Amino acid sequence: MTVLRANVGVIGVLDDIAIERAKAGHLDALERVYRAYEGMVYALARRVCKTAEDAEDVMQETFLEVCRSIGSFRGEGPGSLTAWVKRVAANKALMRVRREKYREADEFSEDGPNAGRRAPDVALQLDLEVALSRLSDTSRAVVWLHDVEGYTHEDIAEMMDRTVSFSKSQLARAHTRLRGWLGGE
Amino acid sequence: MHCTMDEMLAVRDGEGSARAKAHVEQCERCQVEMDLIARRAAALRALPVRRPPRDRWLVVRGQALAERRHARLARFGWGSVAVAAGLALAVGLRGVEFSGRDDRPAALVAEAAAGSAIDDLVAQSQQLEAALRAYGPDGRVMSGRAASLVAELEDRIALVDQGIARVRAVNGSREQLVNLWRDRVLLMEGLVNTHVTRASYVGF
Repeated sequence: MTVLRANVGVIGVLDDIAIERAKAGHLDALERVYRAYEGMVYALARRVCKTAEDAEDVMQETFLEVCRSIGSFRGEGPGSLTAWVKRVAANKALMRVRREKYREADEFSEDGPNAGRRAPDVALQLDLEVALSRLSDTSRAVVWLHDVEGYTHEDIAEMMDRTVSFSKSQLARAHTRLRGWLGGE
Repeated sequence: MHCTMDEMLAVRDGEGSARAKAHVEQCERCQVEMDLIARRAAALRALPVRRPPRDRWLVVRGQALAERRHARLARFGWGSVAVAAGLALAVGLRGVEFSGRDDRPAALVAEAAAGSAIDDLVAQSQQLEAALRAYGPDGRVMSGRAASLVAELEDRIALVDQGIARVRAVNGSREQLVNLWRDRVLLMEGLVNTHVTRASYVGF
């Protein structure tokens, strides 16, 4: 799965000239990059991070990194810039998840005492949003990055500084949990 | 024996074993689970896109500009400060010699005092720059308001630096230099205070 979630609006907004100007550090062009990608970056960060505040901080860190590093961006065209910015955002979001070490406080946590005890037939019919938020931070990040954003397990393993097997097992755990909470959907 | 979740996800992603693929093809229950996996992924992709609640561009812009200024300072700043101090000292010494030849002891005393004041202010400014560097503002996140204040202070410091350079270029009075360096120290104090009281550490 290599096709990243499309953000068609972005492509029309930025052209090669704007990208080159942004790479040269022109603030007006960097603002165009920000305007083009802020929605995409926040949407990703908000799904990976537990709180809106964390997602906002990730967005800020992402664009600061973009301002710092866009000069070394070697891709061509808005499409590759989209993938690059998204990769920066994913990295920042995963760094935040690792740094915060959120407590797995809810009773549905994979690592909690009730893990694996909830049979599908008594599954709570939780709203998908709620169910997603109740996943462990790592599982939520993996299922979102893999199933929605289209990153491979190799990509995720590299970004999380873990193994491919770890990414696969986290994805399976996420689906098992969601299956239990949402039942037959 | 039915497929595990890992096996079904592998089959979905085109990485499943031959045994798992064969099993899914003939097992109605596993096919239902495969369908649920696909529907779950589709439902996740269909979740509404969340929009950022606030515009952070001004904060990002302020921090990016601050980083550029710090980088410039790291490359050229200390050299400029040293040159400024050296020039101020040279101007002071020349003034002392000139005043001495003119036999104007009062002026000589005033010039020497101004030179000493400049030295003190340059030293204070250096200490504040060092304190700010030691604090590590690049690794911290601040509110939009604080970032705007920082950007404004840094802009004013840049203007003062330009003023110092202009005064030096035209051999302006040491009184002007003293005033400019005094302004710079006050602005630097404001900058350090703003960073220390309004930023929070996030690390990298």
